[in-house]
Amino acid sequence: MNYTVINRDVHVSDIHLVAVASASLFLIGDADVINLSSAFDTPPESLIIGPFVPLVQVRGEES
Amino acid sequence: MKRTSVVQAFHSETVVISSVLQIGDSERISARTCDLAVQRQHELFFGSEGEQTFPVFTKPIPRWSFPSPITSKQTLHQSPVISARSVRVLGISSSSIVHIGSTSTVEAESRIKHIRHLDGPAPTRGRDS
Repeated sequence: MNYTVINRDVHVSDIHLVAVASASLFLIGDADVINLSSAFDTPPESLIIGPFVPLVQVRGEES
Repeated sequence: MKRTSVVQAFHSETVVISSVLQIGDSERISARTCDLAVQRQHELFFGSEGEQTFPVFTKPIPRWSFPSPITSKQTLHQSPVISARSVRVLGISSSSIVHIGSTSTVEAESRIKHIRHLDGPAPTRGRDS
């Protein structure tokens, strides 16, 4: 497949972002390779209801 | 050949947890994070809780490895400049990158384990147990 990109004028006025988070990229410019990955784990088992003891003793999840 | 980036005003409040704020060109950026986020109903902290490994921190994340269907790519920069008048970013967090300028390779990985710990009588854990 032949692919042609023509970059014409890009002039942006004001950019307002609240947050860039969890392996995200905000780029003004050019790049060749971008590889971003994010894993967020909060299953029902991670809601613990019980006495306040350190996690090592409380948890029973396999690792 | 890469374009020149022009930003007249930049404002940022916080750059935290393995994040990068890069002004100018770069060649390779690699950012990695493992977070253990514990929220307790009461203000309580045990010092040695991060020593345990959770599967989310060790499981391999699959990568896109298919060959590109593009056999030949041609890029024409009709304008050599890409510009913004002002950029305002409140927070940059957890292996995130804000980059003004061009780069070659960007890699970022973020792994977060989030645990909520509520006060209760019996050691019943989870919704169904």
